[in-house]
Amino acid sequence: MAAISPQHTFDGEMFSAPLVHTDSNLLSCIEPDYKPFIPGNSLRRMTRVLKMGLTTALKCMQDSGLGTPGPIVTGTGKGSLQDTEKFIREIEQYKETALNPTPFIQSTYNSVNGLIALQLKCTDYNNTFVHRGFSFENALLDSIMLLAEGAANTLTGAFEEMTAEHFYIKSRIGFWKTTPTDSSALYSHSSPGSVAGEGATFFALTATPTPKSYAAITSFRMLYKPTAAKLTAILQQYREGVDLVINGRNGDSNHEHYYQAADTVLTGIPQLPFKHLCGEYDTAGAFGLWMAAHLLRSQQIPTQWFPSGTKLPAQINRILLYNHFYGEQHSVIVLEKT
Amino acid sequence: MEELKKKLKEQIIEALNLQDTKPEDIDDNAPLFGEGLGLDSIDSLELMVLLERQYHIKVEDPREGRKILQSVQSMAEFIQSKQPA
Repeated sequence: MAAISPQHTFDGEMFSAPLVHTDSNLLSCIEPDYKPFIPGNSLRRMTRVLKMGLTTALKCMQDSGLGTPGPIVTGTGKGSLQDTEKFIREIEQYKETALNPTPFIQSTYNSVNGLIALQLKCTDYNNTFVHRGFSFENALLDSIMLLAEGAANTLTGAFEEMTAEHFYIKSRIGFWKTTPTDSSALYSHSSPGSVAGEGATFFALTATPTPKSYAAITSFRMLYKPTAAKLTAILQQYREGVDLVINGRNGDSNHEHYYQAADTVLTGIPQLPFKHLCGEYDTAGAFGLWMAAHLLRSQQIPTQWFPSGTKLPAQINRILLYNHFYGEQHSVIVLEKT
Repeated sequence: MEELKKKLKEQIIEALNLQDTKPEDIDDNAPLFGEGLGLDSIDSLELMVLLERQYHIKVEDPREGRKILQSVQSMAEFIQSKQPA
């Protein structure tokens, strides 16, 4: 696994590095030095999310020890916004003539996948899912089906970036809080909207566990606009034997009732939220999955990330991850220690 | 001509984001593609756009483009040939 996020996740400093927080209502990624991963001649053309996505994928493959990946499957809600914005701006500026090819090519959602495949010389199955809050989850579902059909492994991930322009557009439709909110105190500010985030997260999934495996995904459900009864029934079905719940709570009072319903069903099981670490974005669920898998393998919690002093179990064998994107796309994933 | 070549080198560096390259590093007659600067096919499209945006010259024939984009020298000669006397 590998993750570039607003926290110090890329270089393995998560247990020692301090919690990164902001009151700008936008949690931006801490970017690594890309030069050890991407040749300079390729790097010069890439915009931010392409560098983030490609580097995370390469680090993930290094971490997995698997060599060349099989299928490459990703999810993104928006793809490269920087390239999309540049391309659209130039259409207007140059009256639809003399347009640079690069921003157009890179504005397509599957460009990160293409770059990964080119750099790793991988000619296997290659697919990118673009389904708003279900983008990563559909990539995960496709990967699970590929593994069930015989693929030895998949490189599965998600990437998202936030730009000033997109932040402004989303703020106009009520996605973000209207007053500066410290991300470390996100859950105590129950008001409409959340704080924006971004990130790139990749997983090497295998059909059978390897010595390097972090965790096993044992159950997975996607629910589109579920009724309270449906959501409650699904959570009830999966709560058996769960030691810890990781939830996608984001301080947004418009959709908090789903998490409150989950609290009722999951009473007695300790819970940890993750959106104060990565912010809210279409594929934030991938960060939640990354965190859950890390906790299962390390059996440790980065205490500086969760100062509230939640009482945690001595052993974490099974984690339930529940997340939703603005009340529409809900996902429930159960992970177990391998 | 010398002034045009200097300006052209600066424009190439900016358009292609050649971060570690300075105008004086580019030899007038060195090939832009393969050896020399090591540019690729997408860069050639970017250079066509540069000619159109900066010098209002549209290269219609791709075979002609190959000759024009051989080096800074050939680009400068082409630009000069298209400028009004």
